[in-house]
Amino acid sequence: MTPRRGPRRSAERLRRLLVMLPWLMERGEVPVAEMAARFELTEAELIGDLELAALCGLPPFIDEMIDVFIDEGVVFAGLPRLFTKPLRLTAPEGFALLSSGRAAMQLPGADPDGALARALDKLAGVLGDDGVVVDVPQPPATGDLASAVNDNARLSVRYWSANRDEETEREITPRSIFLDRGHWYVIADDSRSGESRTFRIDRFEHWERTGVIDAPAKGSSTIVPPSGDQWFTDGDVPSVVLRLAPQARWAAERYPLRDEHHDDTSGVMVVSMAVASEQWLRTLLLRLGPHAVVLEPAEWHDLGADAARQLLERYDVTDS
Amino acid sequence: MTDQLERTTNLLALLLETRVPLTLDDIVNQLGDQYPAGHTAMRGAFERDKGLLRDVGVPIETAVLGGTHAGQTAYRVDRDRYELRDLDLTDDERRALQVAVAAARTSEAEFGMLKLGGVADSSASITANLPQLELLPSLREAIAARATIDFRYHAAPRSLQPYALLLREGFWYVIGHDLGHLEVRTYRVDRIEGSIEQGEGEAFERPDNFDPRTVFPADPKELGEGSQTAIVRIDGTRATFVVRELGEESVVRRLADNGVEVEVPCSNLDAFRSWLFGWGVHAEVVAPADVRDGLVDWLRSMASRS
Repeated sequence: MTPRRGPRRSAERLRRLLVMLPWLMERGEVPVAEMAARFELTEAELIGDLELAALCGLPPFIDEMIDVFIDEGVVFAGLPRLFTKPLRLTAPEGFALLSSGRAAMQLPGADPDGALARALDKLAGVLGDDGVVVDVPQPPATGDLASAVNDNARLSVRYWSANRDEETEREITPRSIFLDRGHWYVIADDSRSGESRTFRIDRFEHWERTGVIDAPAKGSSTIVPPSGDQWFTDGDVPSVVLRLAPQARWAAERYPLRDEHHDDTSGVMVVSMAVASEQWLRTLLLRLGPHAVVLEPAEWHDLGADAARQLLERYDVTDS
Repeated sequence: MTDQLERTTNLLALLLETRVPLTLDDIVNQLGDQYPAGHTAMRGAFERDKGLLRDVGVPIETAVLGGTHAGQTAYRVDRDRYELRDLDLTDDERRALQVAVAAARTSEAEFGMLKLGGVADSSASITANLPQLELLPSLREAIAARATIDFRYHAAPRSLQPYALLLREGFWYVIGHDLGHLEVRTYRVDRIEGSIEQGEGEAFERPDNFDPRTVFPADPKELGEGSQTAIVRIDGTRATFVVRELGEESVVRRLADNGVEVEVPCSNLDAFRSWLFGWGVHAEVVAPADVRDGLVDWLRSMASRS
């Protein structure tokens, strides 16, 4: 869950209370530690919320209180009367559950008739026909990489790095697979750099198991793939400032931006984005063509022209 | 005066248990000195409590009374609408859903999972980053309710009977019958301007077996008019990737350097150029002449800029 900052807001406390109380009443008694862990609260937070709940009830507040007390590290719930069922799923929760499920149906190893499909049918039955479709084709290597993650299997691969426009042979131990912006990636221990690296799965030309099984990743739960704008939050990755004509607006929608300014009358945007490599920027500038201009840094002012001239050589036409 | 959370919890209990809708006066009578004295302060505190309940998703119903209380607003919470309907998930179904939720890592889904009796699990080794957009939950509700929606898109008003949401290539699309154009249209959700207005439910029927994946081609290079193609020469170093992407049937010629010539859709020239440039100096358009010339012009206009 999203880490909390500062004191917990009333809405967040109430939202959780309305899930905790029915859960507790169904069980009758639960150790404080177990309940706190389940609801991702500290024990002090949980005790504070339950003590508050014990003050609540119906007027005249004598025998119609929420019957909860804590003794010797165990939470006890008395006669269930109020809040015996959780609050219904909200629209954002319902959408998030359905879309997560539909996406998972597209992950390697999903069974179209399995438990997840049945769970989604039941969910759609309660929420109304879902109408959510996730269309994410998998590159051919995805399944093999996913099973390598499970087995800690080391693979020998040939990989094309578009950022450097070169092909390399290396051994990798896949640790985690993720989907972002329509592409599949694998995070793996990389023999060439000796570090953890991220590879785009559709750029493996060849892959096979070496027969070596590596130790499980240290603290594997800490391998958290980047999401959304967390890509390139690294301050070491340089920025480019581009002026984009309306025809080039797609670039601002496709890549995470560090900064943006709009001119509403002309539709021109000035954006700052992270540049993973000069090769990546050359390709982007070719795609944007006459609709984009590099404003900063100065050393990249001519990068697009240079990339265009390089490609023109291939067409055997000399530029003036 | 009482802590807001305590007072709001009491208010919710009261509104859930009452058989008849309660006016603010009734509520204050029942909850006694939990509300501050003075009508303005009392009303303000009540509005904050009501806002808090709505924020967490409590469906509060309001009714304007007649008779001796004519004109007063009364409130209650319908237990049937408040309570989660039982999904009757089996253990393996709940686990499967939990794995899916762990893979998508959204806090809303994780909280929903808690309501369904699961736990928040963040140990997935396969994950999917789904773009989060504020409008998606209400669009989904409109689809489920079969309610017409109105919104602005490219500065023009649109009226749509929404059939489905589709995630493709990292973008969410809403697809439905456009009441202005009288045909099925697709809109990028992140380009909808402002909010959406939802009309009455049961306003239309979705065609049987409607499949949003077939409404527009998955390959953006095919999006334009007609079905034009180009022949592209690919170096041996990149041929494997290109053939894997386009399929063996796209290969029109194999070359001595292990390279290939492939037939590629180019109805949408922007998408075609984008695809082509992704292969850098390893790809070259050989035919037709107008596509090749157009490409050379594009590159020349760039090359002459410095």
